[in-house]
Amino acid sequence: MLEVKNLTKYYGDLLAVDDVSFRIEEGKFATLLGPSGCGKSTTLHAIAGLIDASSGSVHLRGKDVSDVPPYERNIGLVFQHSALFPHMTVEENLRYGLKMQGFDGDHEAQIEKYLEMVQMLDHADHKPDELSGGQQRRISFARALVYEPDILLLDEPLTGLDRVLREDMRNEIRAIQQEVDVTTLHVTHDQSEALSMSDDVIVMSEGKKEQAGAPAELYDEPATEFVAEFLGQSTKFQGQLAETSSPVVQTESTEIHVGDDTDSSQVDPDDVSVYVRPEEIDVHQAARTNGNINVFTGSISHIEYLGHRAELEVDLDDGTTVTAFSRTSQELAVGDDVTVQFDPDEVIVL
Amino acid sequence: MKFGIGNVRLPNVKPPSMLRDRSMPKLLVMIGLGWLSLFFIIPVIVLLFESFNFGDGALLDNYRQALSGTYVRTLGRTLAYAFVTTVVCLILGYWISYYIAFKAEHKTLMLAFVLLPLWIAIIIRYFGVSLFFLPTGPVQQLFGTDFGILFSTTGTIIGLTSALLPFATLPIYNALQSIDEEYIHASQVLGATPLKTLRTVIFPLSLSGIIAGALFVYILAAGSFLAPAILGGPGDFMMANIIEQSFSYSIPLAAALSVVFTVALLILIGIFNHYANISEVLSDL
Repeated sequence: MLEVKNLTKYYGDLLAVDDVSFRIEEGKFATLLGPSGCGKSTTLHAIAGLIDASSGSVHLRGKDVSDVPPYERNIGLVFQHSALFPHMTVEENLRYGLKMQGFDGDHEAQIEKYLEMVQMLDHADHKPDELSGGQQRRISFARALVYEPDILLLDEPLTGLDRVLREDMRNEIRAIQQEVDVTTLHVTHDQSEALSMSDDVIVMSEGKKEQAGAPAELYDEPATEFVAEFLGQSTKFQGQLAETSSPVVQTESTEIHVGDDTDSSQVDPDDVSVYVRPEEIDVHQAARTNGNINVFTGSISHIEYLGHRAELEVDLDDGTTVTAFSRTSQELAVGDDVTVQFDPDEVIVL
Repeated sequence: MKFGIGNVRLPNVKPPSMLRDRSMPKLLVMIGLGWLSLFFIIPVIVLLFESFNFGDGALLDNYRQALSGTYVRTLGRTLAYAFVTTVVCLILGYWISYYIAFKAEHKTLMLAFVLLPLWIAIIIRYFGVSLFFLPTGPVQQLFGTDFGILFSTTGTIIGLTSALLPFATLPIYNALQSIDEEYIHASQVLGATPLKTLRTVIFPLSLSGIIAGALFVYILAAGSFLAPAILGGPGDFMMANIIEQSFSYSIPLAAALSVVFTVALLILIGIFNHYANISEVLSDL
């Protein structure tokens, strides 16, 4: 459906996008995820045709559109700040796209259908500045979809909304996307947004594609240290891989058992990073232990109570700080001596 | 409450006694109002008073004369010249501003070129224009004809346009500059060609600049004295020239002409304001 091949963009000497390739299948919701300045917005703008790529190509429905101007690409784009035309009413904003794209069919019915879909039918005659931020975003979704574009691009469309509204809008966007069944590429720096909404996530950093895959795949099997650190929380250990009866990573002060399937050919055995997700770590009162693999002792230095669970920071005896989650029923307090344990098969080795 | 950094207390400074005095602000306002009354309001009242005939004949005799024959034609000509100048300035100004706002690489330099003429006395610029079209000037040398531009209506309009162009360019540039690029991108993605984007998005969003520019240019052009005097022919006299001339032989007539001219301009601005909310536009600047 959408295929980006070897996209590269220089701004003067600055390399903004570095040889990025990916594809999105028909009807999928994909997200370009990365910190600000990683080139994700530039990539999106190149797909829309708003900037010219230095090299590489963009293919839509099998056709190379690299030299097609934006107004002939039949793309829907939702902007960061909604970008509704202030001199037009809501209805006129929607009609604009239908008219400019030369949409065949009943314009009035389309406008009504899409305003209904975003629950803004009552506001058709309002000017954008009479609407709240959330309402403006809804209208801009309707405006981007009303002429039934081949692909929908979302450029951080939830920027500037409060947290509750963002979470509502996430679900709503996903529902609308599935109802309309439109291939969608979403750009965001918010990992929870990316993981919760997408079929596929493409992680970018410093202009390069780091990894692409389903959210669970990226979280459970990150391919690079950047992805492991950017997605979710984790505790990092560094050391050398040693082959004993089972694979072990030797850090400065201790050793970490890692899964038997650890492949020494995939990593540099002299510089191995081990990541442990907080939900994989069990924290017990000091007295209770369970076997002796990957068991460490330390004391709790910080507790952040989050309602459904608590986030603990445990300073191990060797100085490493471990982040773990615990159910709040456990009666733990700052300063308690505890034992920390995790399963060798659940660690990420890179 | 302690002010200062750490434990260091700042000395307790009192404002000078003059500024603490409650009568001081009032005094300052009085000076401003006094200046305005003395040199603006009172002269206008005197002018109004002068324009009426309190001697032999009817009270409005001066107005009857000011609204007759050649004087009315001059008023019409003045308003028409100002209109043509405004239209030409808006077209050129829009074109220049559009280029600077969206295409130019050295915006500041380009803006400096727009403003540069304002640093030169207007009379020198008009003499420059007249030198340009003089029989010994470059136009004659280049084309073998001066197109009859000097001392004509065309010459007057060219002079006015060159002098007043910055007053159209600056507000339009300001309006274009403040259009969020996202609107232009949105329009393109929604399927509008660059020309349609200009017509349906950029133009409507820059309307406040166009209105402000039109207002400035029109008022300044209508009141022009030097352009018709230096670049126009005998038939190109505008209201300012007629008023100045009549002042030398009939102050009451000059006063009546001034009042008629001012009222005519106010009426036009009133009509303009009916279609475009001027105070809203000016608050945008």
